[in-house]
Amino acid sequence: MVAGAQTHRLANGGVIDRSTSLSFRFDGKTLLGFQGDTLASALVANGVKLVGRSFKYHRPRGILTAGSEEPNALVELRTGARREANTKATTAELYEGLEAASQNRWPSLNFDVMSVNQLFAPIFVAGFYYKTFMWPAKFWETIYEPAIRRAAGLGRAAGVSDPDHYDKAWAHCDVVIAGSGPTGLAAALAAGRSGARVILCEEDFVLGGRLLADGGTIDGLPAAEWVARTVAELEAMPDVRIMTRTTLFGVYDGGTYGAIERVNDHLPVPPEHQVRQRLWRIVAKRCVVAAGSIERPIVFAGNDTPGVMMASAMRSYINRYAAAPARRIALFTNNEDGWRTAETAIAAGLQVAAVIDARPDVSPAHRSLASKAGFPVLHGSVSGVDGGKNGVRKISVALTGGARAEAEADGLAVSGGWNPAVGLTSYHRGRPKWRDDIAAFVPDGAPPGMIAAGAANGAFGLGACLREGFEAGAVAARDAGRSGNIGSMPVADDEAFSLTPLWHVAGKGKAFVDQQHDVTASDVELAQREGFESVEHLKRYTTLGMATDQGKTSNVAGLAIMAAVTGKSIPETGTTIYRPPYVPVAIGAFAGHHRDENFHATRLTPSHQWAAEQGAVFVDTGLWKRAQWYPRAGEKDWLESVTREVKAVRSGVGFCDVSTLGKIDVHGPDAGAFLDRVYINAFSSLAVGKARYGLMLREDGIVYDDGTTSRLAEDHYFLTTTTAKAGLVMQHLEFCRQVLFPELDVQLTSVSDQWAQFSIAGPKTRDLLKEIVDPAEDLSNEGFPFMGAREVKLRGGLKARLFRISFSGEMAFEISVPARYGEAMARNLMIAGKPFGVTPYGTEALGVMRIEKGHVAGPELNGTTTAGDLGLGKMMSTKKDFIGRVMAGREALVAPDRQVVVGIKPTDKARRLRSGAHIIPKGETPGPGNDQGYVTSVCFSPVLDQWIGLGLVERGRERIGEIVRAHDPLRGEDYDVELCNSVFYDPDGGRQRG
Amino acid sequence: MADFSWDVRSPLDRALVAGRYGAQGDVGVSLTEIRNFDLVQVMARRGQAGEMIAAAKARFGVGAPETPKAVSASDATLIWSGPDQFFVLSKGGKHTMESLTPGFAGSASLSDQSHARALISISGEKARAIFAKLSSIDLHPDVFGVGTAAATSMDHTSVTLWRGGDRDGQAVFNLLVFATFAESLWHTILDSAAEYGATIGHSEDL
Repeated sequence: MVAGAQTHRLANGGVIDRSTSLSFRFDGKTLLGFQGDTLASALVANGVKLVGRSFKYHRPRGILTAGSEEPNALVELRTGARREANTKATTAELYEGLEAASQNRWPSLNFDVMSVNQLFAPIFVAGFYYKTFMWPAKFWETIYEPAIRRAAGLGRAAGVSDPDHYDKAWAHCDVVIAGSGPTGLAAALAAGRSGARVILCEEDFVLGGRLLADGGTIDGLPAAEWVARTVAELEAMPDVRIMTRTTLFGVYDGGTYGAIERVNDHLPVPPEHQVRQRLWRIVAKRCVVAAGSIERPIVFAGNDTPGVMMASAMRSYINRYAAAPARRIALFTNNEDGWRTAETAIAAGLQVAAVIDARPDVSPAHRSLASKAGFPVLHGSVSGVDGGKNGVRKISVALTGGARAEAEADGLAVSGGWNPAVGLTSYHRGRPKWRDDIAAFVPDGAPPGMIAAGAANGAFGLGACLREGFEAGAVAARDAGRSGNIGSMPVADDEAFSLTPLWHVAGKGKAFVDQQHDVTASDVELAQREGFESVEHLKRYTTLGMATDQGKTSNVAGLAIMAAVTGKSIPETGTTIYRPPYVPVAIGAFAGHHRDENFHATRLTPSHQWAAEQGAVFVDTGLWKRAQWYPRAGEKDWLESVTREVKAVRSGVGFCDVSTLGKIDVHGPDAGAFLDRVYINAFSSLAVGKARYGLMLREDGIVYDDGTTSRLAEDHYFLTTTTAKAGLVMQHLEFCRQVLFPELDVQLTSVSDQWAQFSIAGPKTRDLLKEIVDPAEDLSNEGFPFMGAREVKLRGGLKARLFRISFSGEMAFEISVPARYGEAMARNLMIAGKPFGVTPYGTEALGVMRIEKGHVAGPELNGTTTAGDLGLGKMMSTKKDFIGRVMAGREALVAPDRQVVVGIKPTDKARRLRSGAHIIPKGETPGPGNDQGYVTSVCFSPVLDQWIGLGLVERGRERIGEIVRAHDPLRGEDYDVELCNSVFYDPDGGRQRG
Repeated sequence: MADFSWDVRSPLDRALVAGRYGAQGDVGVSLTEIRNFDLVQVMARRGQAGEMIAAAKARFGVGAPETPKAVSASDATLIWSGPDQFFVLSKGGKHTMESLTPGFAGSASLSDQSHARALISISGEKARAIFAKLSSIDLHPDVFGVGTAAATSMDHTSVTLWRGGDRDGQAVFNLLVFATFAESLWHTILDSAAEYGATIGHSEDL
């Protein structure tokens, strides 16, 4: 395909690099632009007027603005996985090979069958969803909603994972400045010179703001030269950071600001190792909002015709991009500033068809301009636009006094005045206040530390912008404690600004307020008639301002029209609440690095690499990766592997990395007294060299956590927690130490990561240990009895801690060594255990053995159970006070009909038991009234050769032997189970003591 | 009898690949893991902070830090780790649990943390740019000078951060991270460093 000529590119001027020609594609057609273009300016330069179809009516739409306020020129940028919907052509930088597609049209932009919607416009009025698709209700999900979504969607998401990287970063400064127009640059100068750390954020890729389009003279220099000189001065300051392509989008507590940096959106693919976008959290002592203002449209019939454009945007295209939006331009203005577009057009050699000025008077200078250039000045308003998808053809004018006029033009510039960008200043619920002299809302109630200056503060003249910006920068720096010499203030003249408010011109045909959401002036009037007068109701009923542009060009006009129909003033009508982000921010940027395998931090046990070499299957347990089982060749499923591991332990010896348990050093003369208060059972009486199982309660008497705690010295206990509660228990104990019991001399240190700990279990455990432990250590039942705990020497001289504790019900020890020896320990256990068939086992086998043994774990310690429920009520000491003691005695917590831990097995030995199944008495109808508890933990027991489980069942311990129903509606199962003793294996505990 | 070797293995043994990483060209940052150090947590007993500081002074010739600072002694660094507590970081068995215990008897409780942490040193022109992605702390030299320390979090992981003495005119930031989190944080650091180009290594020297 041949690249189209840049038919509308002006011969001279513009902040573009004509030596770098860029080829791009729009809707499959190859076009050319220049470095420095946006997609919008390149389309303008190629004479493209039609760029999209509207949301509801599929009306042809063109480019309205030249900035991030754009409601119409939204495209799908890029293709494939990098496709991004609703990208504003007005801010998308052109690059070689850019591909963009228009949205919301089918089959093509030029011929869109959905434009038939316009014929049904009466049913698409405000609230049409609620009115039209009410009946029958069941049609909503199956018919109405899918159809509406297909018809109305604005752009398509890529539908596949984003291949690019995003990250997040913090920055700190004294003064953050939003915007690099004359105000922002002057603020940066003053703040920078006074020695402040400054961050200047500019959403554009070029600094200068409106100076790029409107020029001017500052300090006697052409604006471009002044900008260059100022930027050079700022760049020479080591603590001034200028960030282009960065939008300050929100302000949060404590002087934290959100900013999005489009690091590489101007390239087809980010360079290797680079991110596409970066989300910044900027912590600043002060903020200067120099975000400028947004020119506002006047609402009139046909105001959405392609070729109707904001007057300031026309100047941007002509002056900054040397691209002519039209060859014969009509201007509709209600203020002096709009006239600059006529001046610009003439200077660029374009024709001016007419100026339609809604004000009663036009200055003599402009009259003489008109007569010199030979165009009429029409006093009145635009009442209609002839044209269509190919753009504006003719403008109808209602003259003041009642007569009509027409003007032939291929473009219409509109200026309704300027609205300061009040977003940032209003994000802490500050309500902007109305200023009659400029007929606009200006910031009020800005968050602490934030100053609005220049056009963002309603000061529209260049001189005023520089003055306010410079003063704001100086004040901000001073308030941040910087007092350097700020030098002289940049000076420029102020332009005239005289405006007669005009919001809406009554006329025949659709007059759009919110072009992105297709909200018309009559929709606003309808909302009022139907009682939705409050601006918040207006917004939600009509969806005015709820599109991705957040109504930047439409909100004020909408509420002005509402004010007019209700007979109230605009300030009485008020504004809706402003909320961040100021521009759309990709979710990927908020996620940053934290996606996929980096979604959260992971913790690895000391023997992780060894386990991985053994082919372990890992399971996520909180943040941990734990070995779940170690499959061997030929095993058909996990159950086979797990069953093998359990049998190996029960008949020989196995080991398991249990380093994930929380481990806490409890030091100090009062360590025992402290533990007596946090555990329900006594620890001050524990002998040095012994371990004890402990249970702690919450203040409300419910079980909090359990674990074994050993006394290693008179003033040193080693406490362990469950894996899940490790951090929380540490936190709880610190709270107890610092807040509840400050009188106790006790110190706590987490040593969870210091020790690699392995459980070694099975009848041959001692045989294995004898291989690895120094022969001088006595491991006999007498020399190292059940619940013994002490330091031992290993062969090779390393010291380890050995604890004779058992979770499996077998003869077992836990051994711990400093963590960097953890992997060596795993390897050495394999060597030492080789003669005894040692088998590493994972968390599944660990779970099977604890269920067989009736030990409670997470599913039973579930935040609702008492010590009594768990069958551990007798552990509650009556000789001392402890946390949770009093509340545990509450009536309901000691009621006889509580659901308590009991063993459960299906009467049909072949049946699989599933956790979550409800326990219902035989012969009763399942339902909440008959629900007596549920199955908490299940496993296949190799010892019993059937599925078994633990459950919490009403009066369970009194009902041993009773047959009840396990009702599992989730899985559609219902079967008989027997309630039994929760200790399925070795109930008298002979094996673990042997 | 089987032959047992007790080789130590750093928590970053698997993840750390010495050499260049990320963007080629200029080296933006050096990432160095310091291996096999001794680290002891010293916590004052109730009402004994003064005695603890005096005991530290007697042993190291410098007082223990009472604010978030890292203090250098001739063969150890004392790093603030919380109110009335600090770390003793050293090498070569000079200040282990065994050797420190007598001096602090009665004034402090000691806990061995030598294996509980990994130590990562980050320096180079882009060090601050990388930390900007990891930490909410302001590391501007006016704010975070040599010897400043912080107990903070990175990547949702608790860390102790302090600025060591400058090397080749560049700031050096040291990071103690819990050993079981080390590999995870390391990957995050690598991701943060990739665009600037890194040299990666490990060292036995503090």
